[in-house]
Amino acid sequence: MLGLSVAAGCGGATTTSTTTTSSSGSGSDDNVLSIAVNGGPEANQMNGGIYENAAFASATICAPGSTSNCVTIDDLLVDTGSNGLRVFDTEVASLNLPAAKASNGSPAYDCVSFVSGAYLWGPVQQGDVTLGSETGSNVPIHVISSSTTGIPSSCSNGSTENDNTAAMMGANGILGVGVEPTDCFYEDASACDPASGLSSAPYPAYYTCSGSTCGPAFVATANQVTNPVALFAKDNNGVIVKLPSASSPTGTLSGSLVFGIGTESNNQLPSSATVFTLSCDAFTTIFDGQTFGITNATTCAGPYSFIDSGSNALYFPNVPNLAECSSNTPVGDLSGLYCPATTQSFSATMKGADSSSQAASFSVANAESLFSSAATSSDAVQPNLAGTNPTGYGFDWGLPFFYGVNLYNAIDGRSVPSGAPAAPWWAY
Amino acid sequence: MNASAQVMRRNAYDIHEIQMPGGTVVDEYISPAGTVFAVSWHGQFPPPMQQILGTYFQQYSAALQAQSSQPKMYGHRPLNIQEQGLVVQTSGHMRAHSGRAYLPDLLPTGMTVNQIQ
Repeated sequence: MLGLSVAAGCGGATTTSTTTTSSSGSGSDDNVLSIAVNGGPEANQMNGGIYENAAFASATICAPGSTSNCVTIDDLLVDTGSNGLRVFDTEVASLNLPAAKASNGSPAYDCVSFVSGAYLWGPVQQGDVTLGSETGSNVPIHVISSSTTGIPSSCSNGSTENDNTAAMMGANGILGVGVEPTDCFYEDASACDPASGLSSAPYPAYYTCSGSTCGPAFVATANQVTNPVALFAKDNNGVIVKLPSASSPTGTLSGSLVFGIGTESNNQLPSSATVFTLSCDAFTTIFDGQTFGITNATTCAGPYSFIDSGSNALYFPNVPNLAECSSNTPVGDLSGLYCPATTQSFSATMKGADSSSQAASFSVANAESLFSSAATSSDAVQPNLAGTNPTGYGFDWGLPFFYGVNLYNAIDGRSVPSGAPAAPWWAY
Repeated sequence: MNASAQVMRRNAYDIHEIQMPGGTVVDEYISPAGTVFAVSWHGQFPPPMQQILGTYFQQYSAALQAQSSQPKMYGHRPLNIQEQGLVVQTSGHMRAHSGRAYLPDLLPTGMTVNQIQ
């Protein structure tokens, strides 16, 4: 814990211009992609497992400019908590996609870390990405390496959990459609862009390699792994995640991912919706008498609350008498999930960076019972699944919150409907 | 050490704040005897764990490996490593990381873990 030796960082900003189509469209449904909470690709595999509370969708990737050299990948995790399309190299090998370059001219590699310590590593390659009927051209995609050669220790960062297969991830990749245009864009700037003003490239993020030795590198924002929606010709200012309600476990839920906000007749922001403006891509949750929100908008310090379709439970700091599950149950390691003796009901208040406010209620059931009971153990939809935030620092509104809600995610810097605050924001 | 740093004084400990290259802030909690007994972090990128954990890095890495080799449900849950003499906990999501690591036996008298944030 002693002996830190790190380079000084200094702030910097980069400006990008964006174009958003905000005229009313024809009203057709060409901006809709079907999604389903169905357990994912491993649910029916031998020795596989159900991915509970995960929404899946398909994407078609083509070599740039081609309409025939294409693959369609099913069962991508729909994740509003990340930005960019991430697929396994085995899925797109036949396309021979061109490399996206770092600022030093070498092919760029991306590394992303999950809070669990798991990571993804692989080159950035460009392809035309079609979701439903909408296409983004030359989208920088994270192509997850099946090989572990060259993965720098600053990427793995002590973990051996490389989620580079469907068996490891429980999905065939990740469709990141969150509130930023790229996976290294945040608060109107990208720390990974050479224009950031930083003296050295941040890590773990982008790298270039010489032989099997890879080190941090700057990558221009245009070449960073990019939220495909942000590169659509229209309907490119955000998405709506629509899932029906579920109050008890069930096998599947079918819904839709709608592209654009206020750009077509089917994606208008209703006047009844509460819009939560974000600071540091977070908002505030008041729960159990505690306030979980950013306390310093300049440094982004403070407890971090967020809405995230890619989290498969609600995760929040423990409250008295809410028992946690055991790490050694007949159905596996459930540590970190809640196991109350009886289902508990709670309410919380969500607040935006402005004064917008909305109450939200939820229930927490016993996770071990849910996964053990013959009636519920094979159900992918688990609306009352929750776990602890062990740091006591923040509230994660995962996919169970999305059931019965139309959740609007407006992309940072893009045009928004008349009367709405500047993006990024969430609304429902 | 050429990091951007500042020191805040508390009664039983000092906090040494370090700004990492990508903006991630790491706070070192230092006892009057000069021992770093805890670190916390928040930022777009996780901190270099080997640098902030020092000699505890191997224990952390082994605990991570043991945890990921157990059967468990899919999804990326916050990390909660409770080892003999070492606790490491995280929260957040991709490109938004918070966490803390501490040595429970070395917390100053009267200090609670909730003060490590």
